[in-house]
Amino acid sequence: MATDQGQVQQEESQQYVLDPTFVNSRREAIVVFLCWFVAMCWAVPYCYFNGYNIADPADMPTTFGCPSWIIWGIAAPWIVADLFTTWFCFCFMKDDDLGIAGDEEHLSENMEVTE
Amino acid sequence: MLPCLIAQGDSGNAVLVTFLIYIIAVFIIAGLSNRLLKSRNFLSEYFLGSRGLGVWAFALTLAATSSSGGSFMGFPSKIYSHGWILALWIGSYMVVPICVMGLLGKRINQVARTSGAITIPDVLRDRFNNVSFGLISVALIIFFMTFNLVAQFKAGSEILRTLLGPIDTFNNLVDSLPSWFSSLSSQTSDYLFCLVVFGIAVIVYTTYGGFHAVVWTDVMQGIVMVVGVIIMLPLAINQATSAIGETDSQKTGMALVTEEMAEMLPPRFGTATLTISESQAESLAVPPGTWVWSKPEDGSAGRLFKTRKRYVIAGTTTSVVDAEVLEIVSPADVQRARDSLVSAQNANSPQLMKIHAVDVATEKYVAGADKPGAYVTAPGPHRDSPDGFLPLSLAISFFFMWAISGSGQPSNMVRLMAFKDTVTLRRSIFTVALYYSAIYFPLVIIFCCARILVPGMESEPDRIMPQIAVVLTDNIGMGWLAGLLIAAPFAAVMSTVDSFLLMISSALVRDIYQRNMNPEATEAKVKKLSYIFTLIVGLGALFGAMNPPEFLQDIIVYTGSGLAAAFLAPVVYALYWPRSNHQGCIAAMVGGFATHLAMYCVGFMKGEGFTPYRLLGTDPIIVGLFASFIIGFVVTLNTPPPSDSIVKKYFYKKVEG
Repeated sequence: MATDQGQVQQEESQQYVLDPTFVNSRREAIVVFLCWFVAMCWAVPYCYFNGYNIADPADMPTTFGCPSWIIWGIAAPWIVADLFTTWFCFCFMKDDDLGIAGDEEHLSENMEVTE
Repeated sequence: MLPCLIAQGDSGNAVLVTFLIYIIAVFIIAGLSNRLLKSRNFLSEYFLGSRGLGVWAFALTLAATSSSGGSFMGFPSKIYSHGWILALWIGSYMVVPICVMGLLGKRINQVARTSGAITIPDVLRDRFNNVSFGLISVALIIFFMTFNLVAQFKAGSEILRTLLGPIDTFNNLVDSLPSWFSSLSSQTSDYLFCLVVFGIAVIVYTTYGGFHAVVWTDVMQGIVMVVGVIIMLPLAINQATSAIGETDSQKTGMALVTEEMAEMLPPRFGTATLTISESQAESLAVPPGTWVWSKPEDGSAGRLFKTRKRYVIAGTTTSVVDAEVLEIVSPADVQRARDSLVSAQNANSPQLMKIHAVDVATEKYVAGADKPGAYVTAPGPHRDSPDGFLPLSLAISFFFMWAISGSGQPSNMVRLMAFKDTVTLRRSIFTVALYYSAIYFPLVIIFCCARILVPGMESEPDRIMPQIAVVLTDNIGMGWLAGLLIAAPFAAVMSTVDSFLLMISSALVRDIYQRNMNPEATEAKVKKLSYIFTLIVGLGALFGAMNPPEFLQDIIVYTGSGLAAAFLAPVVYALYWPRSNHQGCIAAMVGGFATHLAMYCVGFMKGEGFTPYRLLGTDPIIVGLFASFIIGFVVTLNTPPPSDSIVKKYFYKKVEG
């Protein structure tokens, strides 16, 4: 009986807050989705207006030897996307605790012993 | 300058040696992986690598699995056939790494650890504490993956046959096979032989080594792929520029290549009668890819064709009728082929020069014919579709498909459950982004150059990758290097097949047997069953591929997009929406699957075979995903919320108050 009361008191003294790993993951997922959306909103319309149905392909401008509509519609945004990914990975994304699964507890114990 | 115009396999021995070294390396890796199984929790290690993948292993296994055989066979073939438009087709790969790994990665890894899940059905079942959900997802995975596995086995065999086909040793071996062996399959003996070699290699190393064997071979395969591309890029640009030779143009390098491409015209496909002036004592074999001229008339030089299949002019006859041919119509291509043939082919196979094409009937491309510029502008030339290769609606669909539906592939999700920590995830996203940048755009450049270097390969477009590898390396006197370059597509398809194989066996052992039939099964029993099921599934796919169904390539596309339509919405809801419940997520899964399937059924009923109905011109994946998210959302809000304990377990954290 005394033990039950103790458990109740302990649970009352505990509060639940949103898991920070979940909150950070959700925030990062929204940013990733926006990144994809922005990339599509640039690449597809740009290529459509500059690469489709060109009247005189012989005079088509090139940049670095490739058709300019490919360079500015795909290659340049690709570089920007890589820069964004770098920022996302090293400046924006948080390091969170992912927890330990039951099947890897023995591994973490081994690691603790090793450490 | 263009030995490729005749030579199909001068570097054959190099290919064979590389292939053997590669197979040996794969088996060594499997042996090393099997050692790990003895010291760790078997199921977690066998199917998930003990959730301990580091940066290189995680990054390259994900990259290699995503880059299936299509990336190194189908994609180059498309670039060659349609030109620069493929840069837009593949454009969303600029955000694929961040999407596929960043959208779900951290969260699915955390939820899998919280629930102790080893497979995707595990995650869904435990997240909602609902057995039915787990079983439905298992059923869908087995349904889609089994079809896909058969298709991938066939693709593996086709690639191997393409690579080894020109090698005499291989052909002699195939010819010496007993007749009962050939009778096992509706396909040719060489296909069957390659299927058995490919299948046994993959089945044995996957069964024996488990997840770690798959991951480590993926790493090796990933390295082979990127090294191959990096070597080929400068060679292709330099050699294509040299092949164009002196022109009036002021341009150089890639600009000269693009200018040359702007003047190209799509070839014409058709049939012709192949004739020789007088009958030979022996039959004359005409291999696929043989150049043939029409008989010159009125002092003209005649038209230039390339055979698309192997034909034999029998000893007592002088012709073969209705031979499938491809006509080269770009003046510069014809001139380059003419120069090369006159200087080289006469000496190598003079009898072939006696063959002429008569009674020719060819058809122009529906989109882009007789119009210079089709290869450097959108939507690109197309043989059958008047809208061209990539109309706007499909451009949007593909931008959607690679990035978003890639996130919904269970084979990718499983890998996201296996990385060690978030530092690994961050570094891996960065690594894969660089990796894809180093592969996909350079591939577009390389195979645009291939249009200059190897004209007329539309006759056998799937051979363009090995062919260009041979050409590039032979031209610099390093034929042995072709073996390394040619290993890339084989590595790509192997890394996809092994992952799918493990996905299916894990669904059977973990999700059906252990979780539903015998939860108290001993580790020894589970271990034995894992080996047996992996072996059985692999052999089943091998036998299925011996007599493959029609529309195989379409089936690969169907299963890939169908899995995403069924799985993405429920997984996103399960991970990010505390209010989501099993009713809503099951409805999302079934709704996405059914809507996607309906698009194919409508297409089938309209008499278009396995070609889906495209609502508003978009791919079925978009309609399927849209329906899945909407259905899941509506059903969730109209059914009871999940229990408090479940929500707290997966979305909240205890703190001392």
